[in-house]
Amino acid sequence: MKRRNIVGALAAVAMMAASHAAAAADKIAVITPYLAQPGTQFYVEAFQAKAKDFGWEVNVVDTKGDVAAAIARIEDAANQKVSAIVINVDPSQVAAGLEAAKAAGVPVFGMDAGATPLLVTNVTSNGYSMAADTAAYVTNRIGGKGNVVMFVFDAFPPVQQRGVIADTIFKNNPGIKVLDRVTPDVQDGGIADSRAKMEAILSANPEKGAISAVWAAWDQPALGALQAIEAAGRTGEGIVITGIDANPQAREAIGKGGNFEASMAQDFKGIGATVADAVKRHLSGEKIKQGVIYVPTKLITSANVNE
Amino acid sequence: MAETENDPASLLQYFRRYGTLTCFMLLLLGFWLLLPDTFMTGRNIFNVTQQMSMLAVVAFAMTIVMAMGDFDLSVGSMASLAGIVAAVVFRETGLVPLGIGLALLAGLIGGVLNGFLVSYVGILPFVATLGTLTVFSGAAFLASGGKTIFGADIPEAFGVFARGGIPLWQSGEITVILPNLTIIAVLTLAIVWFVLEKMVFGRHLYAMGGNAEAARLAGIPVKRLRLMAYAAAGLGAALAGLMYASRVASANPTQGSGLMLDAIAAVFLGMTISRNGEPRVLNTLIGVLLLGVLSNGLTQLSVDSYVRDIIVGVIIIAAVAASSLDKINRN
Repeated sequence: MKRRNIVGALAAVAMMAASHAAAAADKIAVITPYLAQPGTQFYVEAFQAKAKDFGWEVNVVDTKGDVAAAIARIEDAANQKVSAIVINVDPSQVAAGLEAAKAAGVPVFGMDAGATPLLVTNVTSNGYSMAADTAAYVTNRIGGKGNVVMFVFDAFPPVQQRGVIADTIFKNNPGIKVLDRVTPDVQDGGIADSRAKMEAILSANPEKGAISAVWAAWDQPALGALQAIEAAGRTGEGIVITGIDANPQAREAIGKGGNFEASMAQDFKGIGATVADAVKRHLSGEKIKQGVIYVPTKLITSANVNE
Repeated sequence: MAETENDPASLLQYFRRYGTLTCFMLLLLGFWLLLPDTFMTGRNIFNVTQQMSMLAVVAFAMTIVMAMGDFDLSVGSMASLAGIVAAVVFRETGLVPLGIGLALLAGLIGGVLNGFLVSYVGILPFVATLGTLTVFSGAAFLASGGKTIFGADIPEAFGVFARGGIPLWQSGEITVILPNLTIIAVLTLAIVWFVLEKMVFGRHLYAMGGNAEAARLAGIPVKRLRLMAYAAAGLGAALAGLMYASRVASANPTQGSGLMLDAIAAVFLGMTISRNGEPRVLNTLIGVLLLGVLSNGLTQLSVDSYVRDIIVGVIIIAAVAASSLDKINRN
């Protein structure tokens, strides 16, 4: 009886040892509760592709929405003294894990995670430049004059910074008047309330050409505004709509060549690859100065929406 | 010895009694051999206890209900709801004790509701707590507006608590601490152990689990005890929800939902160790630690996170299967 157990134990240990044999390479743990989300998958795949070139051993840990489990896995990886940890989760929620990593001397990198001194750096898209691109697109399309409706959300910092940039660009064009700066109710996702708000604005400005453009800080209000314009039968007035994020629904609308003309696509793969580069730089002894590394984004119009 | 060695029934019996324990010991041994520097260290052991503390509290609470042969499926959503209640109170008032007090009160009320539905209305525990699971979850979404409450809304002291502990000794540059969350889990274990093993209340619960009708005829106030057991489970779930919220310094309306199935798994694993297959809280602890050690060790070995789930499932099925086959054999 006892002998059986010992043999079983040895077999189990041998099997685990075999799977553990190749241990010389740098070990990188990628930890996220959000692997099921499409954006995260793109980051991680691009990161893994680069990691393969660098000869790293990457362990991707998906805690399936469980943030406390993400902390636990960060602590485990820190304990194990991996070469680096990459996270895709709000750092303020996993501060306990980040402090464990700091105590163990293991560097942590953010993959579109949010900025904090506990990270070596965070790689993300530049909200300022995304807003600048779409606001400049609007200005250009309406020839620098006309009434513009803005959809903003100042309570959420990443979206607030987009609004500030658009304000500046519109202010810099004397011919442009911001007719309304709307904060939609986002409880339902933002489309329905934005539509209702836009319908009210259309009713208040009934004459043709009274509204030249709608600039939205993200796609949902842009889609809501589009629905309102369609429902009011005013698609023929040439009102230009722009959003940010280029989600599938927005891409579809842009592809139809209607009022919704432009949005911004984040380069998820570029973010994943840039994180790998940052880890590589850090491991080879370089001190990374920027707390945030920005990856360029791309203006999406009907010309390139199907690429 | 030579005779029993070839007797399949006794082999089965051995596995029924000691299979889970053997498995636990092998895991410890295996991880220790494979991770000589990082696994069996004071720091990592406290680390695992801290990681498992929330699940442990839910599983201990679940043990009380399962001692009567019942289930409480609502513990996970109650944990979420308690976190949300505390966070909303923090946001509105900034008062930590008030938030904690109201969250625990919500747990107690929810538990009493479960107990009332099962005990006095006579709804099957599975159905009643499935119903309240949905209600608590809906309430958590309603109170939070479906959003995660975090950042400045959560008082610093509340978030820092889960990171702190009692400093024990210095290991290199790192101070090994006994984490606060571990202390709470150990205190909960002590209370539940005392209530179930040393008090009449506990003995009555096990009697009800053996045969509820006989227990009633023997003069045990079955309805009242059942209500109290569910109330305790609700309170335990709320406590775990607060621990979770403190650990992630935020509250999300779904964050506790993973606790329920893991808690049941831990109690089941524990039941496979008990002599008569009844849930005992110290055995539940072994179930919890087995799940925790497995997660910790496999992460350190860089084993794919999905493999872990399969292994956990296989261990549970194997352990319970051994117990079931043994019963068939004996009959």
